[in-house]
Amino acid sequence: MIRLENVTKIYNSEVTALRDATFEVAKGEFVFLVGPSGSGKSTLLRMMNRQERPEKGAVWVAGRNINEMPDSKVPHLRRNIGNIFQDYKLLLNKTVHENVAFALEVIGRPKHVIRQQVPAVMDLVGLAGKQDRFPHQLSGGEQQRVSIARAFVNRPLILLADEPTGNLDPGTGEGIMRLLDRINKTGTTVVMATHDQRIVNMMRKRVIQMDRGIIVRDQARGVYE
Amino acid sequence: MWSRLTYTFRETGASLRRNVTLTVAAILTSAVSLFLVGGTFLVQRGFDNLLSKWAGGVQMIVYVTPQATPDQITAIQQALSSNPTVIDVDKLVYFDTEASLAEAKRLFAADPGAFALLNANNIPTEFKVVPKSGKLDLLVQLADSFRPLPHVQKVVLARDQVEQIAKLRDFVQTVTVGLSILLLIGALILIWTTIRTAMYARRREIEVMKLVGATNWFIRIPFMLEGLIQGLVGGLLSCGFLLFFNRLWTNGVVKLKGDNGFIALVVSDSFLNGVMFGVVAFGMIAGAIASGVAASRFLDV
Ligand SMILES: Nc1ncnc2c1ncn2[C@@H]1O[C@H](COP(=O)(O)OP(=O)(O)O)[C@@H](O)[C@H]1O
Ligand SMILES: [Mg+2]
Repeated sequence: MIRLENVTKIYNSEVTALRDATFEVAKGEFVFLVGPSGSGKSTLLRMMNRQERPEKGAVWVAGRNINEMPDSKVPHLRRNIGNIFQDYKLLLNKTVHENVAFALEVIGRPKHVIRQQVPAVMDLVGLAGKQDRFPHQLSGGEQQRVSIARAFVNRPLILLADEPTGNLDPGTGEGIMRLLDRINKTGTTVVMATHDQRIVNMMRKRVIQMDRGIIVRDQARGVYE
Repeated sequence: MWSRLTYTFRETGASLRRNVTLTVAAILTSAVSLFLVGGTFLVQRGFDNLLSKWAGGVQMIVYVTPQATPDQITAIQQALSSNPTVIDVDKLVYFDTEASLAEAKRLFAADPGAFALLNANNIPTEFKVVPKSGKLDLLVQLADSFRPLPHVQKVVLARDQVEQIAKLRDFVQTVTVGLSILLLIGALILIWTTIRTAMYARRREIEVMKLVGATNWFIRIPFMLEGLIQGLVGGLLSCGFLLFFNRLWTNGVVKLKGDNGFIALVVSDSFLNGVMFGVVAFGMIAGAIASGVAASRFLDV
């Protein structure tokens, strides 16, 4: 589903954020990216939906070299990739329902599709009955569920999660983790950057460990270390 | 499609409201600059009307009474043609009754009442005289010799009225064109700033839109619509100014009356309408393009 070949990323021709990264993620797989702050986890995720382009190497997603894709095709690539973040990136002036519907609205999905898909994904993330609240009326964990609903409402092939439990207390983070696991079980490929040791050790999934831009470990059913 | 439209209008409306001060500034500046653009056209048209009698280097007009017979007209023509060293005989033109009436109709466009008083029995016909190059002084000296000819009503020299007016026109042209260009640039900068501010206010939304795969066009169109609306409202306001000042001007000129020809400084309603339409269309297109370009600048993939 995702393949990186010798990817090197240098910011402003001085900071080497990734050096010669090569790995492959199969369809339906769940992968943890671990490593200290600044080791290149976020950069790696941003490579996968062309928010960044590598200085060297190639990134393949769903069989296509996405760095050779014309700009006009990038939106269509991104419709197949959901994103969630540590800070949720919710729109504060919109309700829960509007936040999720927004993702379909702006890619031109018709009203009847929105009416059908939004409540379905609300049920899935466990927010049924809270559609009309605003983000500030929700707990952190609930806000993250809204952002997962928004990322998943279009049923993407891939979900990229950048420290989704970073702002949450352990219990809440575990709930989010179980939700992502459930989404993964529907066939969605999930790549999750984290330095939440407990969660990585609990899940026993594949672990790719980064250190200063280099992949230092790639282990099936791994732990954090 | 419907959901796209409601989305676009909702976002555009919200953005215009959020940015009231800048929006009003952009609209007023575009109104004033578009008014000046339109005004430039109107003033030019007025002067061109006034000077059109003298187009093509005509320096002297010999007016012939409407009662002159063809033989008498031919006699005047021969008198003019007998000075081939001074007068460019090839360019000598005779406006018969019909042509003179057509010319008057154009010049009196603003004063149909005055035109209605003219007819084949009272409108003089005209010989338009172009001097050979460098012979203008000699032509001026010759002018007096044509005045006593039978049926010559009057002989008018360009030197007496046209040159001052042409100088005035060039001056007014420089000033209005210069000012309107300056103000247009100001208006475009303001629209640009409004769009940038609007995009900054919505940067979180734009970030999310890009992440979920909205196309750049989809993101850009509400902003372009915003610029288009600013240009439209500015254009409509400028039409109000144009109507008002044109009325003021027309009333002033019509009051001058008399045989001074200044009535030609007034433009026809159809020309005014054309200018107003052009100004509104230009405002809308320039507003949409400026904001589209601004949006693209702040929208790298
Ligand atoms: N947009 C950027 N411009 C310049 N340097 C950046 C940018 N993003 C990240 N970096 C640098 O790249 C390195 C990797 O950062 P990042 O991918 O955010 O790591 P992580 O997510 O593991 O904390 C860091 O040294 C960081 O300072
Ligand atoms: Mg990071």
